[in-house]
Amino acid sequence: MNVFLKRVNWVQFISMVALVAIGTTCIWSAGNAREALFHGMWKSTLRTALAGLAVYVALAWTDYRRLFRWLSAPAYFGALVLLVAVLLLGSEIYGGKRWLWFFQPSEISKLCVIAFFAQVFGREESPGWLRTFRGMLLGMALFGVPAALVLMEPDLGTALALAPAVLVVMLAARVWRRGLALVLAAAVLAAAALLGVVHEAERPGVTPERREAILRFVPLRPHQLKRVKTFLYPDTDPAGAGYTLRQAKIAIGSGGFAGKGVGKGETNHLKYLPPSISMNDFIFCVYAEETGFVGSVALLSLFAALCVSCTWTAWTAADLSGRLFALGFATLLFMHVYINIGMSIGLVPITGLPLPFISSGRTFLLTVMSGLGIVQSISIHKEEET
Amino acid sequence: MKTDSDLAGGPSCWITALFFLAGFFVLAVKLESVQIDSAADSRRKMAVQSERRVQTDGGRGRILARGGQVLAGNRPSLSIAVNAECFQKRTWSAAAEEIRRAVDAAAAVVGRPSSVTDAEIARHLRQSLARPLVVWRDIGDDELARFSEHERDLPGFSCDESEERVYPFGSLAAHLVGYVGRDRAETVAGDEAFRYCELEMRGRAGLEYHYDSFLKGVPGEVRLLVDSRGYAQDSKTVVEAKRGPDLQLALDCGVQAAAEAQLRGLRGACVVMDPRDGDVLAFASAPSFDPNEFVPILRHEVYDRYKNDPAKPLLNRASGGLYAPGSTFKPVTALAGISAGLSPSDPYECIGHYMCGQMRIRCARTWGHGDMVMTTALRDSCNAYFCHLGVAAGSNAVITAARAFALGSRTGIDFGTDSAGVVPDDAWKRSRHGERWFPGDLAQMSIGQGMLLVTPLQMARVVGAIGTGYLVVPHLKAGLPPERTPLPYPESSLDVVREGMRKVVDGGTGRRGVDGVCAWAIGKTGTAEVGRGERRRKNTWFVAYAESCAAGADGSVRRVRDPARCVAVALVVEDGESGGGTAAPKVREVLKAVFGTLPEAEGGAP
Repeated sequence: MNVFLKRVNWVQFISMVALVAIGTTCIWSAGNAREALFHGMWKSTLRTALAGLAVYVALAWTDYRRLFRWLSAPAYFGALVLLVAVLLLGSEIYGGKRWLWFFQPSEISKLCVIAFFAQVFGREESPGWLRTFRGMLLGMALFGVPAALVLMEPDLGTALALAPAVLVVMLAARVWRRGLALVLAAAVLAAAALLGVVHEAERPGVTPERREAILRFVPLRPHQLKRVKTFLYPDTDPAGAGYTLRQAKIAIGSGGFAGKGVGKGETNHLKYLPPSISMNDFIFCVYAEETGFVGSVALLSLFAALCVSCTWTAWTAADLSGRLFALGFATLLFMHVYINIGMSIGLVPITGLPLPFISSGRTFLLTVMSGLGIVQSISIHKEEET
Repeated sequence: MKTDSDLAGGPSCWITALFFLAGFFVLAVKLESVQIDSAADSRRKMAVQSERRVQTDGGRGRILARGGQVLAGNRPSLSIAVNAECFQKRTWSAAAEEIRRAVDAAAAVVGRPSSVTDAEIARHLRQSLARPLVVWRDIGDDELARFSEHERDLPGFSCDESEERVYPFGSLAAHLVGYVGRDRAETVAGDEAFRYCELEMRGRAGLEYHYDSFLKGVPGEVRLLVDSRGYAQDSKTVVEAKRGPDLQLALDCGVQAAAEAQLRGLRGACVVMDPRDGDVLAFASAPSFDPNEFVPILRHEVYDRYKNDPAKPLLNRASGGLYAPGSTFKPVTALAGISAGLSPSDPYECIGHYMCGQMRIRCARTWGHGDMVMTTALRDSCNAYFCHLGVAAGSNAVITAARAFALGSRTGIDFGTDSAGVVPDDAWKRSRHGERWFPGDLAQMSIGQGMLLVTPLQMARVVGAIGTGYLVVPHLKAGLPPERTPLPYPESSLDVVREGMRKVVDGGTGRRGVDGVCAWAIGKTGTAEVGRGERRRKNTWFVAYAESCAAGADGSVRRVRDPARCVAVALVVEDGESGGGTAAPKVREVLKAVFGTLPEAEGGAP
C-alpha cells in the first residue's frame, strides 16, 4: 500500500482535480446564461466527475497490463460496433450524428483506439514484423477504420486529435520510422496545400468561376470549407460564418489581464456567443473572459502539468505498452487542448473538439478520467506482473 | 524489473514533453496578444455591440416673475409604456403579435384605446427594442388609478413620469416667456452619438428661446446593456441628469397684468422699465396667445390659426413692432435744437401749419398756437414749432440726437426679438428709395413722422433717459448689472425738456396720463399717422417717466430725492384716436399699478 501511494503521480491527480473544479465552475457560468434547463447542468457534471473519479481510482488500482491484455481488443471492436451503430441509429443534432442514446461513441473510441494500439505495438511478445512496413500498414488500418467511421458522422475533430496520438504511439514503438516520417510530411504538405488553395480561391477579388475551378478538387464539405475560409479571412463575414470566431475573440480579448470575474462574462450572458456552443466547444471563451489572461495561463499551466506528468509516467513506465499508452493518451489530451483553445483564438480553423474537463460533454469527461486512471495505473504498477 | 533504457522509445517521452511545452507556449503567446495587446480593442467592440447610450432629460428650469410667480413651469406627465423584453418570442413577428395582444389587454384595463399601430410596434422592435414603447402619453388620474389597480395583471407595462411645460398664467407675458417645442437632442460634437434620446424640450420663442441653454438642464446618460438580440438586460446611470436653473425675471406680474388689461381687445404694446437699472417690469403685446396650446407639440391647426390671424398675435410688438414715434419724438428734436445752439426761449409763431418748400405740414390746432417757446410747444405738441426747430437745427443735429438716444440700433435687451428700427439719413434714403434727403424729410422726422421707425421698448428707454440723464440697457433677467450710457446733453438742456414734458401731463395734451397717480411724472403724447387715403390710420402713443413722490394734502405732488421707484413707460395703441385720448388713460392705469393712486383720488374725484 505504501509503495503504491509513493508511486502515485500526484501532479497528474492534482491537476485533474483542479481542472474538474474549474470545468464545473465554467459550466455553472455558461449554463446560467441559457434556459432554466441548463442552470443545473453543473450538478450533473459534478456527479459525472465523481463517477469518473471512482472509475479513475478503480482503473488506477487495476494492473493496466491485465486490462490491456483482456479488454483492449474487445474495447476496440466494441467501439467499432458503436461507431457503426451511431451512424445507423444515432440521433441527428446540429447536422451531425454523434449521439447514441445518452453518449457519444466517438469519444469512447478515442480511448479504445489508443489502448488497443498500446497493446498491439507494446506487448512484450510482439512479432518483429510489427516494426516494419507491415507494422505501419497495420497501424494505418487500425486507425483508418474508426477514423473513417468517425468522419462519416461527421466528426473531423476526433480524427484530427486521434491521428497525432496514434502517430506518437507508433513512433515511440519504432514502427518503420522512415515511413511514418514520410506520412507525417505528406500530411503536413497536404494541410499546407489545402490552406494555400483555399487562401487563393477565397481571396477578395477572385471571380466566382475561378473560385469554382480552384475548389473543385478540394475534399472539404461546405461547412468545413467555410471554417477554413473564416480562419483565413476572419473579417469577411462578421454576421455570418465569421460571427462565432469574432465573438470568441471579443470575449477572450475583453477579459483582459484579470478578467471580468467568475460568472460575469458579458459575451456569454448576453448571448453574443451562441449559447448552443458556449458550454461545449467554445467554453474556453467563457472561461477566458471571466478570468482574463491570468486565468488562461493558469489553465494552460494545469494542462501542461497534466500532459507532461503523463510523459513522465511514460518515461518511468515498466513496459512498452504502458509507455505507449501514456504517450498516446497525453498526445490526445494535448491535441484537444491545443485545437480547442487554438480555434477560439484564431490559431487553427474552427473544429468541433471539446476542451477536456471544461466542456460539458459527460461522455468525454468519463473517457478522459478513465484514460488518466489507466495512466495512473501505469505509474503505480511498476513491478513485474503478478 | 526492467530499467528505462531497456525499453524502446525512451527519447520519445521527453521529445513529446518538449513538443507539448512548445505547443502550450505558442498558445500562451497568442493568448497574450489577444488578451493583453488587443484587450482594449475587444472591449470597444464589446461596448459597440452590447451598450446603448441613452440620453436622459435633466428637466428645464422655471421662469419666475419678480414676486416668485411661476410664468413657465413643469408639470409631471405620466405615460404608460410596454417593455419589449418581457415579450420575447422566437421570431420578431411573434413578439410583435404578443405585444399587440398585451397592449389590447391593457387598453381594456386603462379604458383608453391605444393609438399604437402594428407598424409602430414592428418599427419599435427593429429600431429601439431596448427602450420602452410609450403606449399612452400624458394619462389622466382615472386612467392611472385603473392602471395601478391592475398593474400586477399587466406584466411588462410600466408607468413612467416625465415632464411637460406648463404656463400657469396662460397668455400673461406670453410674448415675453415664449414657448417650447420638442426636438431631437443635440449631441456634443466629437462625442459618439447617443443611440437613443428623448425628444428634448427646446425653446422656440421668447425667453424660452433666448435663455434656452440657461434653462436647459444638463442631460444625463444611461447605459443599457443589451443582449445579442437587442433586448435590454441591465442599465446603469453613467451621468446623473441635472435640472436647469430657474430664470428669475425682473418682471412685475401686477404691472404686466395691468398693462395687458389696458390693451385687451386692441392691437398695441406697452413696456414698463426701470430707467435706472434697466429692469423691465412689464412687457405687453396685444393681441396675445396661450402658450399652453403649443405644448407638448405645436399642432398645425393651432399654429395656422395664429399665423393667419390678421391681428398677428404671434408678433411681439413690444420690442419687434415698428412704429413711427409721432410727437413722442419731439423731446429729442428739442434737445437737438438746444445742442445746435438754438435758444429754447426764442418764440416761434405757429400759424396752424408749417411750409417746407411745397409741402405743408399741418398742426393739430389748425388755426395756430400763436407764439410758442420750447416748453409750451411740448405741452401743446405743436408741429409747426418743431418742424421749424428741426430744420433750423439741421439734419445732422436731429439725426445725431436720435442716435444719441440709441434709436436705429438694437437696445441690447436679453431677448431674441430686438428690432433696431430706422433713423433715416441721406445715405439710407438713397439706398432705400433712390432719392436724396430733402428738407421736407427733416421736417417730417422732427415731428416723428416720415421714415423714422421705433419700437415701444426703444421709446421707453428714450423717455427714461430724459428722466434720468442716461441710457440703460434694458434687461429681463433680474440681477444683471446696469449698463448706463450718459446722454451727451447738459442737465440744463434736459431740464428744459423735462419742464416741457411736465407741462404735458400738467394741463397739456397728456393731462389724462397721470391723473390720480401717486407719482411725479413727465410725459409726451404722440399720434402718428400712417398710410394714406382710405388706409389712413393713427397709431397713438403715450410715453412717460414717473417716480415716487411725496403727496401733498391738496393732491399736489412733490419730487423727492432718491425716489423709491422710478419707471419709464411707453404705450402704443394701433388705430387709436389720439395719444392724449387713447393712450394716455391707459398709461395712467398702468402707472397706478406701479405707484398706487393719490389718496384724494380714491374718494372718486369728479
